[in-house]
Amino acid sequence: MEKIKKALKARELSSLLCLVVMFLLVGVVNPSFLKPQNILLCFNGSIVYVLIAIGMAFVILTGEIDCSIGAQLGLSAAVCATYLREGASWGMAIALCVLVGLVCGTINGIGVTVLKIPSIIMTLGTNGIYRGLIYLYTGGKWVENLPSGFKQLAQKNVAGNLSWFFVMDLVIMVLIFLFLVKTKRGKRFAAVGDNEAGANLIGIPVLATKMKAFMICGLFAAFGAILYVSRVGFVTAISGNGYEMKAIAACVIGGISLTGGVGTVIGASIGGIIMASISRLLVFLKISSDYDNTITGILLIVIVVVDALVQRRSVEKARRERLSARVTAAEGGAFNE
Amino acid sequence: MNKMKGLKSKVFSWEMFLIVILLLEILVFGQLNPRFLRLNVLMGSINDFISICIISLFVTFVMVTGGIDIQAGSIVGLTSITIGLLWQDKGFNVWAAVLVSILVGTLCGLLSGFFVAYTGVQPMVVTLGGSFLYSGLALAVVNMSSSEAYEGISGFPESFMKLSSGNIAGMPNQLIIFIALVVIAYILLHKTKYGRYIFLCGVNSSACRYSGIRVRPIIMSTYGLSGMSAALAGVVLTSYLGSAKSDLGSSLTLPIITAVVLGGTSNLGGKGGVIGTALAACVIGILKFGLNMSGMASQYLDIPVGILLIIVLAFRMTGSGNTKLLARLKKNRGK
Repeated sequence: MEKIKKALKARELSSLLCLVVMFLLVGVVNPSFLKPQNILLCFNGSIVYVLIAIGMAFVILTGEIDCSIGAQLGLSAAVCATYLREGASWGMAIALCVLVGLVCGTINGIGVTVLKIPSIIMTLGTNGIYRGLIYLYTGGKWVENLPSGFKQLAQKNVAGNLSWFFVMDLVIMVLIFLFLVKTKRGKRFAAVGDNEAGANLIGIPVLATKMKAFMICGLFAAFGAILYVSRVGFVTAISGNGYEMKAIAACVIGGISLTGGVGTVIGASIGGIIMASISRLLVFLKISSDYDNTITGILLIVIVVVDALVQRRSVEKARRERLSARVTAAEGGAFNE
Repeated sequence: MNKMKGLKSKVFSWEMFLIVILLLEILVFGQLNPRFLRLNVLMGSINDFISICIISLFVTFVMVTGGIDIQAGSIVGLTSITIGLLWQDKGFNVWAAVLVSILVGTLCGLLSGFFVAYTGVQPMVVTLGGSFLYSGLALAVVNMSSSEAYEGISGFPESFMKLSSGNIAGMPNQLIIFIALVVIAYILLHKTKYGRYIFLCGVNSSACRYSGIRVRPIIMSTYGLSGMSAALAGVVLTSYLGSAKSDLGSSLTLPIITAVVLGGTSNLGGKGGVIGTALAACVIGILKFGLNMSGMASQYLDIPVGILLIIVLAFRMTGSGNTKLLARLKKNRGK
């Protein structure tokens, strides 16, 4: 019973509720949306977002931020696609793609942990650098004509129209969730973000943990890149542009606090699905997809502000309860004398 | 003795360092391309980066309070397209359209500022939402007009175009606008009570509140100011390019934050200055302009800017108070 109560209060549930309400509202306006295949299409559209939101969650949990994940994704995707086009084996292309992501993440990590540059500034800087490197690498041209076998990977479905990539995302999400919540090493990420000095004092290697978070973030950017290449089928110099902001927004919508230490990857994934679904929902509302950003912005601000107000109220309530308990205790003490 | 000390700290200050970098850049690029050293080319180069200069001046205010503003770029686009819509489709006089759109930009800034100051949500999140919202609104405004998004609205009257292309006594108008704004921002932040309050908010907002200063309106106003400056940049950019587009400022976030931080403003608040930001904006602008003139394609320009940012910051961060604290903690742990 306690556990159920706790689960009901969880922030992820309200994100999930938000997603369901969004779907239902669109369904009221346009009943044809509520067919299973349309909802599954929304899920399929979110495979890349879910992955980069999970990667971003690691960094945000430690109290840092990564504004370069879009460019990391673009760079890894460009490398992956170029090697695929040149006829390299899939394993080779994927390995190089992952390596690029890992190196990008490591550079961010070194900047933040060794050079002590504030993460937002470091990653805004590397975002520009990585984006420039994509232009250098591709010469500003499209990378297309990829082997069709690789592109068909994204078309393979399990159970109706649900892409097996999405199922894979879900499995990864559950594994990462268990890692972060149940294992000692996983709990370090949230501990560092919650109280850095305290984590240091009880012997958690703060800098190493942050370093790992950035590396994992780069890794997930590369995973996202593989799915991106397979799903979209071509890579341009602006591939992944703006994904960094969408990933951060997904995390925030999913209840991960930018101050660090609060939130889970389940929330981040739900946030990713919400972010990816908005443009598809607009189609069913017969609204131009130009309003995608407007809706995203409004949704983000509303969710965050409501969240902050609710939180403040509960903090104040707790404080009042503490105060009244103290007052009655003090009164009791006075009677005893 | 004290005077000597003051002089010494002035000579070795961060601003001095930025001036040295600026001079070095001009020398190096002058060697690479002698045309670069002509006075009118050098002064005219500001046309390329005026928007970074204008906005970063006032984003400094926000960062001094301990906040951050990543929405300014999208306000630039919104302002630009609003001018176009009001002038072309609604029959406004072009200057009235400019005034209205500056008002719109200010209101956008104030709205985000309201959420930051009165709900306690992190500034990064609010302005992230703002950047989505305002760039989306800009597209919505395009849909209201009779033009296509990618075309933009052009054909503005001569007087409006003169705003950025004309010059007074050999000085380009944009340079004059920039210098005037630097003076205004300097006086506002460093010479008025309001400016002191902004610094106090950044150093310790609780102390600020307890000493009877109304913290929230002050924080909100800094976002309004940065919104207003973004709108001004939108006006100047529209006039310079001669066409109103909704995506004008979409790539400005990196250079703006770079300029503010490079100028010596701490992202934790309480430290910084307008002069440093102005110099840093020029350092970045001249670097881009010079590399472009020496034959580097503009897509690659973010690479040197990013590298410059990281090197300079790594140089400055080593030995700051923050690192010392961590080192001490580490030492204690080792025992």
